Amino acid sequence: MIAKAILNRVLARAMSTGADFAEIFAERTLNKNIQMVDGKVNEIADSLLSGVGIRIFAGLRCVCASTTDLSESGLLLAADRVASALSGAPAGQPIYVKERIFGDVHPIRIVPSDVKNKEKIDLLKEACFTAKDYHDEIAQVAGTLLDVDHNILIANSEGLLAQDRQIRTRMVVDAIAYKDGENQTGHCRPGRRMGLEMFETVITPKEVGEHAAKQAITMLHAGYCPAGKMTVAIENGFGGVIFHEACGHSLEATSVALGRSQFCGKLGQKIATEKVTAVDDGTIPNAWGSINIDDEGHPSQRNVLIEKGVLKSYMIDRFNGRRMGMEATGNCRRQDYTFTPTSRMTNTVIMPGEDKNEDIISSIEYGLYAKEMGGGSVNPVTGDFNFAVREAYMVRNGKICEPVRGASLIGRGSEILQDIDMVGTDLATGQGMCGSSSGSIPTDVGQPLIRVSSITVGGR
Amino acid sequence: MEYQEFKSAVLKAAREAGLEEYELYYKNSSEMAVSVYREEVNQFTTATGGGACFRCIVGGKMGYAATECFDEEQAASLVERAMDNAASIETEDEVVIHPAGDEYQKVSRMPGEIPSADVMTSVAMDCQKRLYAEDARVIDGTQSRTLAEKGMVCLANSKGLDLSQEYGVSAVAAISIVQEPGEEEKYMGYKMSLGEVSEVDLADLAKKGVEDALSVMNPGKVNSGKYKIVFSGKMMGAMLSTFASVFSAEAVQQGISLLKGKEQTMVASDIVTIVDDPFYPDFSVQMPFDAEGVATSTKEVIAKGVLNTLLYNLKTAKKAGKSSTGNAAKESYDAPIAIQPYAFYVKPGEKSREEVFAEVGEGIYVTELNGMHAGADPKTGDFSLSSAGFLISGGQKQGPVKGFTVAGNFFQMLKDIELIGSDLEFHAPESFSVYGAPCVVVKELSVAGK
Repeated sequence: MIAKAILNRVLARAMSTGADFAEIFAERTLNKNIQMVDGKVNEIADSLLSGVGIRIFAGLRCVCASTTDLSESGLLLAADRVASALSGAPAGQPIYVKERIFGDVHPIRIVPSDVKNKEKIDLLKEACFTAKDYHDEIAQVAGTLLDVDHNILIANSEGLLAQDRQIRTRMVVDAIAYKDGENQTGHCRPGRRMGLEMFETVITPKEVGEHAAKQAITMLHAGYCPAGKMTVAIENGFGGVIFHEACGHSLEATSVALGRSQFCGKLGQKIATEKVTAVDDGTIPNAWGSINIDDEGHPSQRNVLIEKGVLKSYMIDRFNGRRMGMEATGNCRRQDYTFTPTSRMTNTVIMPGEDKNEDIISSIEYGLYAKEMGGGSVNPVTGDFNFAVREAYMVRNGKICEPVRGASLIGRGSEILQDIDMVGTDLATGQGMCGSSSGSIPTDVGQPLIRVSSITVGGR
Repeated sequence: MEYQEFKSAVLKAAREAGLEEYELYYKNSSEMAVSVYREEVNQFTTATGGGACFRCIVGGKMGYAATECFDEEQAASLVERAMDNAASIETEDEVVIHPAGDEYQKVSRMPGEIPSADVMTSVAMDCQKRLYAEDARVIDGTQSRTLAEKGMVCLANSKGLDLSQEYGVSAVAAISIVQEPGEEEKYMGYKMSLGEVSEVDLADLAKKGVEDALSVMNPGKVNSGKYKIVFSGKMMGAMLSTFASVFSAEAVQQGISLLKGKEQTMVASDIVTIVDDPFYPDFSVQMPFDAEGVATSTKEVIAKGVLNTLLYNLKTAKKAGKSSTGNAAKESYDAPIAIQPYAFYVKPGEKSREEVFAEVGEGIYVTELNGMHAGADPKTGDFSLSSAGFLISGGQKQGPVKGFTVAGNFFQMLKDIELIGSDLEFHAPESFSVYGAPCVVVKELSVAGK
């Protein structure tokens, strides 16, 4: 994307006022987004993102600048802007970046940017028409096929030059069921770090449409969820959002380094029941949250966060690692070149345990079976989290009973980890876009079916 | 190349491709942000950038393409991609490029220049010192931030329009963390003051920021049940922000909003008036034209409970046989035209917050709602949200409570608003939209707690 000689000169300029580290992050990203409503393609967004973010460190200070001007003069101007925030002398050593190739474990068979609109639209239609035809009460179906071709280059003053090409594909289908003045919705939003082959090898468009429609119809005929403290079984797949919100964010150096996490200073301590082993793994081939290298050029790795209840590791980026006195873990991520990168999750899951699914359900006398979760959020300072339940059923006397709508789950991360008392065997993941200070990034969440002995269920 | 040169190249490429109706939208911005941790600057960020989005009508269909890379190759590629995308569009809605000729109102407030790095830094440092000085229980993790953004929107099309407007926003934010010595629990407070960075009243900001954190220490729990709920102005504003899309004519026409067929009917209690004002005097994100170049205007969307109008852009207005309300918007420069309000707020009533509490007697004052993006669904109106706030008892605000949810339905809630305070508060602008409200009293909502 940028010639080595220019990278060397821009890095040197950025270091010219006493920084001890400088980095260039360049990106060229093609985004395509085809939307369909009412069975017809109504909008296509098609954009090229192109820009550079420059970072320098001086001890525990971080200075960043971004620009869309990729000419050498534009880059030098941005380097001057970061340098102007410091007033020291240059270290004086010349910088020579050397290319390093970390490899790519995510093969892409059908590169989306090489495929005509028509073929993508056919996939989207199959999903949307399947949803619409599923039931008379399906009033509307909105579908989107997104593909991203994200090319990044990272060069730093330690001589690293690394590049990666991240291709992602996602289909989002939202079905609305309508009856007697009421709407209810159903979603299906699978995505992979893959090309369009994901609709052959992972999930077919028909399955996407069916899933969304079925959920909307189920919820249309459901009553409201009762409120109060209950035992809750949370299904696998996107159910893993509970760990992502309740615990994952609080293990990011973003909050740990500044002393703003409830898990500060807890390494080696037991923070969860023995049933809980949790891992953040950015190396899983073709998974939605996977990366070959992170956005500061560190190869992705598998980090065991919690092992049998004991806190083993945080997720750390280079800058926050300085304050913590710890090594980076390959978790530094940013939405694009305009954001200041920080530690973020990749694919974060609770590992399979030994409890049988039927035993988990039959153990619940009165409670909730959360079949599919919606999104959520957390305040890492207090650990207070919340998330929505998209599809839930009451459980009575060990049996899954009628569906209920409008449920949410709230609690505190440190408490819920102590309340996960059964963990099933069948791990599955779900895809989400995770929002935090460095923007919106793709992450996988996942778990087997788990049981939480007691949690506040928000309902009516 | 610079934008002006790129613009000429794109418009030339469009003409050469034989296009008759086309438009180029451009948005740029410069930003500076400083963050102070302990008593040192730990983050200093500057950004400059801009992107252009081209759209054109081919065979009655609108196609889009956008770029941040301004060169000859992209100028040609934009036109080619937009034409190719237009050919794949299937909706039969009539689309138009807006001609010149509207009369545009003048904005009353222009954005200031971005302050120098020294000013941005010293204000953030000063704020941080004041936060620590405010109370001995303020601990590390406390952060002060200054931020300033200034930018411009330009729109040029084949029908003679050539518009531009500057916008800007700047603010100082205080995030205070407090802890009782020897205890593990931490509490957070957040206050932001919009306005010229050097003119923000830091003493007041620091005081309110720390008070915000101290006031929620040692919260109690609430029992599950039905309660009278007072939403703070900020939280009612957050509700409006979350549910704003129900007022979009596009959502209504697609059957996604339950306000379908409700224009000119009662959709809220008769004390509720909701205003959309592109020229709200407090903000320097005022917009005289929308993302299609249509002149904007101030209107009551809900007037005394009656849904006066939805928010329209050109396409949805044409479909409904109405005029655009000037609410065409782009989520970002590269997004297709959608619909958004400007300063969108509940018109304040007469009573102060204390008078409102006195009238309520018993209930919960909700000052924090979390997880709006997941726990509230504009398509159904349902919400079930993790909340925090204060008990109201004996007509007065009591101690803090948290760890409960408030659940209901937005459409029902609008009808159940019993009283509206006078304390209008706004959130920070999100692009050209700013949401606000005074505190409002809702007759009854479900609470899940103990």
